Amino acid sequence: MSYLEYNVKYVPTGFRKLLYVNWAIVMLLAAVASAGFLMLYSVAGGSVDPWMGPQLKRFGVGMVLMLGVAMVPIWFWRNISALAYGTALLLLVLVELFGSIGMGAQRWIELGPLRLQPSELMKITLVMFLAAYYDWLPVKKTSHPLYVLVALLIILVPTALVLKQPDLGTAILLLVGGGTIMFLAGVHWAYFVTVIAAGVGGVAAVFQSRGTPWQLIKDYQFKRIDTFLDPGNDPLGAGYHITQAKIALGSGGWTGRGFMQGTQSRLNFLPEKHTDFIFTTLAEEFGFIGAFTLLVLYALIIVFCITSAMQNKDRFSSLLILGVAMTFFLFFSVNMSMVMGLAPVVGVPLPLVSYGGSAMLVLLVAFGLVQSAHVHRPR
Amino acid sequence: MIRTPLRPLARILRARANGENPDAIEKENRLLRAEAIRDRARDRAESRLFTLGLMFFCAFVAVGLRMGVVAGSVPEEPRAAVEGSPIIGQRADIIDRNGRLLATNFDTNALYAQPQQMVDPAGAAHKLAAIFPELDEDRLVRDFSGERKFVWVRRTLSAEQMQAVHDIGDPGLLFGPREMRLYPNGPVASHILGGASYGREGVDSAEVIGVAGVEKQFDQYLRDPANEGAPLQLSIDLTVQAAVEQVLAGGMTLMNAKGAAAVLMDVHTGEIISMVSLPDFDPNNRPRALLTGDQSDSPLFNRAVQGVYELGSTFKVFAVAQAMELGLINPNTMIDTRGPLVWGRFRINDFHDYGAQLSTTDVIVESSNIGAARIAMMIGTERQQSFLKSLGLFDATPVEMVEAPTGRPQLPRNWSDLSTMTVSYGHGIADSPLHLATAYASVLNGGTRVTPTLLRRDHLAEGERIVTPAVSAAVRDMIRQVVTRGTASFGDVPGYEVGGKTGTADKPKPNGGYYGDKVIATFASVFPASNPKYVLIVTLDEPSETSGPQPRRTAGWTAVPVAAEMIRRIGPLLGLRPQVDPAQLAGVSLTSN
Repeated sequence: MSYLEYNVKYVPTGFRKLLYVNWAIVMLLAAVASAGFLMLYSVAGGSVDPWMGPQLKRFGVGMVLMLGVAMVPIWFWRNISALAYGTALLLLVLVELFGSIGMGAQRWIELGPLRLQPSELMKITLVMFLAAYYDWLPVKKTSHPLYVLVALLIILVPTALVLKQPDLGTAILLLVGGGTIMFLAGVHWAYFVTVIAAGVGGVAAVFQSRGTPWQLIKDYQFKRIDTFLDPGNDPLGAGYHITQAKIALGSGGWTGRGFMQGTQSRLNFLPEKHTDFIFTTLAEEFGFIGAFTLLVLYALIIVFCITSAMQNKDRFSSLLILGVAMTFFLFFSVNMSMVMGLAPVVGVPLPLVSYGGSAMLVLLVAFGLVQSAHVHRPR
Repeated sequence: MIRTPLRPLARILRARANGENPDAIEKENRLLRAEAIRDRARDRAESRLFTLGLMFFCAFVAVGLRMGVVAGSVPEEPRAAVEGSPIIGQRADIIDRNGRLLATNFDTNALYAQPQQMVDPAGAAHKLAAIFPELDEDRLVRDFSGERKFVWVRRTLSAEQMQAVHDIGDPGLLFGPREMRLYPNGPVASHILGGASYGREGVDSAEVIGVAGVEKQFDQYLRDPANEGAPLQLSIDLTVQAAVEQVLAGGMTLMNAKGAAAVLMDVHTGEIISMVSLPDFDPNNRPRALLTGDQSDSPLFNRAVQGVYELGSTFKVFAVAQAMELGLINPNTMIDTRGPLVWGRFRINDFHDYGAQLSTTDVIVESSNIGAARIAMMIGTERQQSFLKSLGLFDATPVEMVEAPTGRPQLPRNWSDLSTMTVSYGHGIADSPLHLATAYASVLNGGTRVTPTLLRRDHLAEGERIVTPAVSAAVRDMIRQVVTRGTASFGDVPGYEVGGKTGTADKPKPNGGYYGDKVIATFASVFPASNPKYVLIVTLDEPSETSGPQPRRTAGWTAVPVAAEMIRRIGPLLGLRPQVDPAQLAGVSLTSN
């Protein structure tokens, strides 16, 4: 069902588009980001430097970018989605060949003054391209094995490249995000059942391969799994993050210790306190109430995205919105679960709250796409 | 070209027959089908979205619930799991029967060197030798300048020494944290505790292992992390132990003895309240074992457990007790004591000539060898052996020390009738002071057997019966008379009603025969005699009391006064109230004017 079949007469034009932006989502994003600013201020010991200031600047830039992207008609984004995906894929290959090494993983590419993380870019472009693919594909052929195979290739090629960097967290995000779009597009149940069964088998194979010459994942990944299964095993080594995070959460209790009163994070018990583990600071200082409030903010963003997708008759738009929502959801749910010991430690930041430039920009651009789809929805 | 079938065929055929336009019908039908497809797609999309929403909801609920659980949990510091890391885990403390510390741990550091990283090996060696006088500077220089990559310098450091080494400031001198065993009371109870040393040593920690005594016997228990650091409680009373050691050391000096041992045992439970062997040592700095000569001359040698001696006349008590138990004699039975008693080419003599006969009581009181020998002949060899065996005098003591099995009694090789006679007065059989204490406790506590132990016992286990309570009381009465009017008259401590039996045995020469001037003097006592609570054995090795014109060596002159002083000192510590008979006031009457 092509976009042109709908009546687009009532799509707003010019600056009037600003009125049709989904402002609820914008407000929620700003609220979440503000919680992030507070936390970054707190972990720096009550100082704008070194984290809150730059984060504030990036958020400003990101918001402008988001609105900019929202102003551009959604069909433009659909038309360039294949190009965007191809570029991101190319960059992933380039980073594999020429990228610089950071923290034991090859993730960055230097483009003059710009430091680019192609795997971040891939998170949106994959969603865009898959949505465009299913928009193009006649509904009847959705479950045809050949077309399912094409979709799988679209997902698996970048996933494999990211996994090779190695960046397990992003790889999982890509895989699950892409899978969700296939699911929403209406691919037959049987495929998912097969894949899940194969996944369980694969996990078993991975564990079986441990210690053999053909070991499938790296030792540090095995260690993370072990640590996840039993953090008490090695409380000062690999289990340190989780144990300290749990102590922080527990010591926050129901109402928290109060702003700037956290000990675990401010006394440097926690590494990565300003990035992946910033949630612990929040939970310690504002307790269950603060942490749950943040969770509700996230949930509201998801709910608004789903509502927007349901109002949208355009297949590409609704798939794109839900894909972005799913990616966003995976970000914070995996991060929170990891911090609270529900999931193994994978390097996934808390969206909009963790300190980090490219993740925040990419996320805000993705929400720009959501806004564009919302503004230009057929009425 | 793909031919699309006309649908619905029946209606189209009918329309054709009626002359209507079948295309309209087909178009209508196509529209309907497209709508149906769209409806199905929408239904599917909605169900998929609903599923996804449900999954989101579940995830939110899970994360939220987990948040609540974690927020509600009490923060707990992580505890290192102990399995798989055998070197960590504190060794348990050892405490006395009242909870006072006998052995504990102390954080210290070992000093090691990594010569490859040393700035000035020769200078560092020179300064180290100044801090630790026992280190050889030349050797250190050799160690530091050679090919070696790692050199242990010292196993333990005091805080001051550590600071001094810090002040050398050489990056190649490094400290390894570890624990050391500390015996806060120094030499007190040294033989019981034994000592500890290092097993496997690493730069981060070192394994403390027991090397002797209780420390080795209970090594597994003390190291077992499963005990959660629960201390090992001994039956020893620290204050009594210290007093016994002090008195015994003084007595040993005064009596010119080369060694001494004392055992204080609870008569009913067999708990060893105090056990001393002199000379002793400081377990904090355990001396090396002797490489040459007689190990029994080493301060490490525990005379109370490992030293087996002929304990002399103290054994007469067993012969008399058994004979009375068998009904062969009673305390007033007259025993033929004409001497010498000739058996083959062997003559048994008494210290004095006691005349034609003595009562059984007087055989004990006057300590007549001939009398004891005649009583033994009445009993007979087999019955004597089984009685002495039941008292534990034939086997090593089962006390909880690694050294205990080495204290194996020496028995006559061929147990002839003559052996029966000599054993009755403590010759030809060698036992440790602990054996004697156990056997005395068994006979005198009312007649039930006790097992010696170093662990505090809170329950009184009734042992097998050795003699009847009546015999036990009669024997106690006899040995009380030894103190009041016999060979142990120096042993009377007013109020504590001491009863006891002396024993003086010539020391055997290494190549057979006996020394004429070297004895083992033993005093085996029980107090209070009428209601026995404790047995005390005092043994002096080669004593000679020199206040008189002739050196006196008999136990009555040597071991007895030492034991009496001991009882005087420890009686109050043990909580015994002196029983003093009210004095008869002369010249005062109730009706005095």
